[in-house]
Amino acid sequence: MFGRYDMDEQIRNLPDSYFELVDQDQLADGALPTTPIGFFKDAFLRFKKNKVSMFSFWMIVFIIILSVIAPFFNRYSYVQQHTQLRDMPPRIPVLEKLGIADGTRVLTNRRKANIENPDLFPPASVLEVFNHRVVNGVEVVDAVIDMYSYRNAKDVYFWFGSDYLGRDLFTRLFWGTRMSLLIAFFAVITNIIIGTVYGAISGYYGGTTDMLMMRITEILAGIPYLVVVMLFILLFGTGMFSIIFALTVTGWIGTARLVRAQFYRFKGREYVLAARTLGVPDRTLIFRHILPNSVGPIITRAMIAIPGAIFSESFLAFIGLGLQAPRPSIGILLSDGQKVLLQYPYQTLFPAVLISVLMISFNLFANGLRDSLDPTKRGEE
Amino acid sequence: MPSSEYLLEVQGLRQYFASGRGKNRLVVKAVDDISFGVKPAETFGLVGESGCGKTTTGRTIIRLCDPTAGRVFFDGREVSGRMTNDLRKYLTDNIAMIFQDPIESLNPRMTIEEIVGEGLKVRGLKDKAEIRRRVVEMLVKVGLNEEHATRYPHEFSGGQRQRIGIARAVIVKPKMIIADEPVSALDVSIQAQVINLLNDLKEELGLTILFIAHDLSVVKYFSNRIGVMYYGRLVEVAKGDDLYKNPLHPYTRALLSAIPQPNPLTERTRQRVDYVPDRDHDYSTEQPTMVEVEPEHFVLCSPSELLEYRRRIAQNV
Repeated sequence: MFGRYDMDEQIRNLPDSYFELVDQDQLADGALPTTPIGFFKDAFLRFKKNKVSMFSFWMIVFIIILSVIAPFFNRYSYVQQHTQLRDMPPRIPVLEKLGIADGTRVLTNRRKANIENPDLFPPASVLEVFNHRVVNGVEVVDAVIDMYSYRNAKDVYFWFGSDYLGRDLFTRLFWGTRMSLLIAFFAVITNIIIGTVYGAISGYYGGTTDMLMMRITEILAGIPYLVVVMLFILLFGTGMFSIIFALTVTGWIGTARLVRAQFYRFKGREYVLAARTLGVPDRTLIFRHILPNSVGPIITRAMIAIPGAIFSESFLAFIGLGLQAPRPSIGILLSDGQKVLLQYPYQTLFPAVLISVLMISFNLFANGLRDSLDPTKRGEE
Repeated sequence: MPSSEYLLEVQGLRQYFASGRGKNRLVVKAVDDISFGVKPAETFGLVGESGCGKTTTGRTIIRLCDPTAGRVFFDGREVSGRMTNDLRKYLTDNIAMIFQDPIESLNPRMTIEEIVGEGLKVRGLKDKAEIRRRVVEMLVKVGLNEEHATRYPHEFSGGQRQRIGIARAVIVKPKMIIADEPVSALDVSIQAQVINLLNDLKEELGLTILFIAHDLSVVKYFSNRIGVMYYGRLVEVAKGDDLYKNPLHPYTRALLSAIPQPNPLTERTRQRVDYVPDRDHDYSTEQPTMVEVEPEHFVLCSPSELLEYRRRIAQNV
């Protein structure tokens, strides 16, 4: 038997011929069994799993498609006025049989004599008379009136009703959606481009350059937004261009800050240093090495900015700084609708529902995008 | 003036980092007056504890940082002066760098082909097929295969990624490589693989390597000459064997005493030596300078320490 130290001694004195070098002298790794998955494919796979985001994505697609083709669904254009058919309630072919959107309106507190007068209300248009009462010695009733036969337009269908000039609200709503979306997309794209380039330069070069550029953005951000917008609209008049411009004046600052922060995060990474030691020029470093790595937050921000832009546009239209009449946008429809909100609530309802669905969809879509582009940020706001 | 003996010569290099202004100003002397030379086709190991300035030295040589003072010569040409396009081209053509972290050092958004081929692209090679051919050739050389060219970095193991990093550095045919702790993030079995690969490439291509590491056994295995750094200063430079047999500076002795020994018998009796600068040196009256104690063996010491070191060498020999 060997003692402990004897064994050590033995092992230590083993001749070299007992050993064989295991290390393979030729390194050669086999091919990988999986298929290569790039960044966007990976993100897409993750995005697909998120049901809510997928749903909102299809919702957005649906609304966009509607905004493109819906204005051709009926024979009205967004400018065509019907002075005889003002403020008509919604009337939709199939649904009217179910009692929804059947072109009726409830008139309250009418003299019974007037309702029953065939010169004023053709008998066919009075569907139901109820709530008989006497006020100050006058017989008063409420009545459900079929506005379409009352106005003698039984063959006319305004699906979402008509406005104070008798324009078809369905056509105007989707025309307006189209305008709002266009304004939002252009404004956001401009913001992202300006913000990315500005933030990239500021973040990449750092130091004094960064300091100066960031002070400029702070000065810009300090100017009251509404004043700037009003000055723009005074200068360029109302129109798509000046609204996009107005949304861009301060809109890019947030993107610039975000991109700058991303550049600070990535520019010291070893792969950027490695590229520098290979002599890669600054431009390539910025656009090839750093920017693709910060593309996740930028895309997410763009998607969050779109509903913001739609809302800003609506807000501007609402306070009277919108597109030139007769062009509609969601904001203009809302601002027209709210003037008659109590009499004709449907004029506000449809644009309001649409803008809400659009904003929620964009927000949920952006959330899903953020989660799939940067899984470590899951659940953050 | 640069000596013709060396391919890379560093003279009195200083790299200070300042932060804050006025009263809050804080200067960190990351590299403080170091001088050494690397001969053609040799491996020069730079060792020292974390934060002693090894990496900063490497980065300053390749101009990722601009040196505060001192001069660096490469092949007789000064590379520490004002940065011009011409100088950048000279520097990046001749010196390449391998980085420490195999995860961090490859761009996650680029394929291996793009990563390895980038150096060629920057040098004006436009032909896609030619880039592809040379990338694949290089990948095979570092033990990967053609199929890997279309992959993204996250699909590889640490050792494979480090080999990709080596491929990226070597494909531009540099004269010298600065290897900044190329194996410290890998486990031991993979370390041997990567080190052996570097060794093969070095012999095949006649590379000169500045090898930065904190693992003394790796450095010993790999380097012809070794420089030991402590707190931004180079304290001892010697041939590998000399340094291990005859460490003179107390910090080198402390560092060597920290190497675990594979033999359990001697490991059990291994004595750690502490290095306490205030106790081990008395620099109140004399300032230390770099002195060549023996041929090719430099130590940072004061005149009285020099006598002591000389005496010790005489006893040993």
